[in-house]
Amino acid sequence: MDQFIVNIIHRPEMVPEYAEKVTGQGKAEDIGRKALLTESLDIFRLQQQIAHDNGLKTTIQMTYASLFNDEAVAIAKEHHEKYGDEIALSLLGLPCEQFREKYKTKDFCIWMFSMEDKKAIVRDVFGKFHDAFGFYPQSTGSYYMDADLINFIKAEYPSVKCAVATCWEEGPKAYHTCNNSWYTLMDGGPWAPWIPSRQNTHAPAADETEDSGIVAIPHLSRDLLACYDGNGSNFGTHPQNVLRGMIYDPDTWEYPYLYNLIDQYRSLAKFNNGYAYNMMFVGPGWMNKMGRWEAPFELLKKSYEDGCAYYGKLKKEGRLTDMTMAEFADWYRANKHYTEPECALWRDILYGSDKQLFWYCDPYMRACVNMDQGGAIVDLRPYAAKLEWPVGIGTAHVQDASYPFLIQEKYRAGYFTHYAGEGTVRSAKACHNGEEVDLCLCRTHGRFSQEGGDRILTLDPVDIEFSDLTVKLQTVITFPEGTGRIKIERRVLSMSDPAAEVTVNEYMVACYGTTEYPEDMTGLTLAVSAGEKSASIDYEYKCREASAAGAESVSCTLPPIKTKVTMTCEGRDKTGYVREGYAFSPMFTLGYTGTLREKEGFATWLNLERAD
Amino acid sequence: MAQSGKGRLNYRCPSCFMRDLDIDMFYDKDRDEYYCIRCQYRGNEADVLAKNRMARFRYGAMMRRFTDFEDFTREDEKA
Repeated sequence: MDQFIVNIIHRPEMVPEYAEKVTGQGKAEDIGRKALLTESLDIFRLQQQIAHDNGLKTTIQMTYASLFNDEAVAIAKEHHEKYGDEIALSLLGLPCEQFREKYKTKDFCIWMFSMEDKKAIVRDVFGKFHDAFGFYPQSTGSYYMDADLINFIKAEYPSVKCAVATCWEEGPKAYHTCNNSWYTLMDGGPWAPWIPSRQNTHAPAADETEDSGIVAIPHLSRDLLACYDGNGSNFGTHPQNVLRGMIYDPDTWEYPYLYNLIDQYRSLAKFNNGYAYNMMFVGPGWMNKMGRWEAPFELLKKSYEDGCAYYGKLKKEGRLTDMTMAEFADWYRANKHYTEPECALWRDILYGSDKQLFWYCDPYMRACVNMDQGGAIVDLRPYAAKLEWPVGIGTAHVQDASYPFLIQEKYRAGYFTHYAGEGTVRSAKACHNGEEVDLCLCRTHGRFSQEGGDRILTLDPVDIEFSDLTVKLQTVITFPEGTGRIKIERRVLSMSDPAAEVTVNEYMVACYGTTEYPEDMTGLTLAVSAGEKSASIDYEYKCREASAAGAESVSCTLPPIKTKVTMTCEGRDKTGYVREGYAFSPMFTLGYTGTLREKEGFATWLNLERAD
Repeated sequence: MAQSGKGRLNYRCPSCFMRDLDIDMFYDKDRDEYYCIRCQYRGNEADVLAKNRMARFRYGAMMRRFTDFEDFTREDEKA
């Protein structure tokens, strides 16, 4: 039977991130304002009541500030006894007078502190928690938890088994939405719970040796299409985020999108051995009595009541299990294995476009296949490298916690439509008598299936129309579990001229980075492996090419992200090639050309591994 | 003229919202209008509300309730 699990989390954040700036407009900053503290606690109490009224248990993530508040501590104890809520500890909500006085800073994101400060703060906060409750927490979290931080916490406080550890695709897009002022740069992670590796939080552990010892959950369950394209903070299981996106009828205050989002997450059980997950975590600043932007308090409150009521209804119908974070961690450990991928066949539920994506995540990669572009891979993160990426003051990445991409269609162009250069995408072109058609222009949909350890995406066939030939072609993409490989096969189902032959060009244009801006490609090495005809190119922006008939493989080694990506091929007349880019097109291309006849297939494999 | 402040509700700039920017507007009580410090938009409350309705044009399925997430049959294609 399918199991849909929800974690509902509340935090008594005594100085909500948004509230001081919003409600305090026109007043000098004072984070000790009594009115602010009182309101924050009132909101927390209200959130707890709404969840309990709907028969849902919560995880109470105490903040540092709340540990100084006897009333907040008393509520947590009471609700733990009465409702079975878990008392946990958040590393959000650090700001308060005591914190500022002690640490002499206004920083509030734990992953951005120096390692020395992270250790001091964790010991302080966990110690304070122990003083208040007499035990150490089993769950913790922040918007992001870097690997060094998780490893430290697990070593010092082994009781911790679960943590909120990233917010899906909260990166440059969220930064831009806040007029370049909100520094939560953490793209490239899993959208659903995972076991983080000890090397990089975003990359799931492949085995026990890589296991960080915790189960990570995402901060919110986010729309896997809308958040990839737009401001992530509008499209998640956070009712007030939906209001932020203005995704409601302004006359009736109805928002079917919120329920569609929850239901589409429920539907993912079909692709994940019967398991689906949701997380709802609304900070008190979002239920501000002053209202939030256009939304008055009454609407903010209604949306939270409606969200909890829907989860409550599902629970009453036996279609949802509410768990605390610690309970969920135990369930996850008992029911999942390391290499088991997370799969999501996701449709547009907001814009009315009929677009469909397939997301795949395992310890070796995160990939996005876009059916609206003929099954092109439009996002690819090479987790196989398990890239060590320290974050915070004193490291090379003070704020940027994103896992680097090889392909990112929104930041680095995707299927190319502009004036000069190329964009990152993994697609194919069919060619005949001088005409060329890119599969990125063949809109279709796909179906998921599982055969043993293979997750298979079978796309509906598309017609490729040349002036004198029509080819019915089908794409089948296979993700064999635990291999770091993707197989892409093109099958010619029929041709208007059964004797005809078409040329296929399987290509991957890629680069590396975490933002829209180019990185230095110097140091990358392109190679064609073909015995005596082997060739290599050290990247110098010289627009060079190399190719070899019958090549065993083509590859690129990227030392800055310790990744090697290789393409191999099984097909008629195969020729492998590599292309260096140039300054106005800082990309590289790997590819194979070959020929296809009716009823034939042409298969290529994409392989990801750590370079060193 | 006196300094601007925030209005009863903190309206965002509808023009910036449509380009994925959340920018709080300020309220000029002398002119009874909201204005954006990021772009050139200005308008009274009624205009802001009207533009906010317009901004929803992109949400073509905003009020649709989905029951099947793999059925792409369009209404006009159903038998």
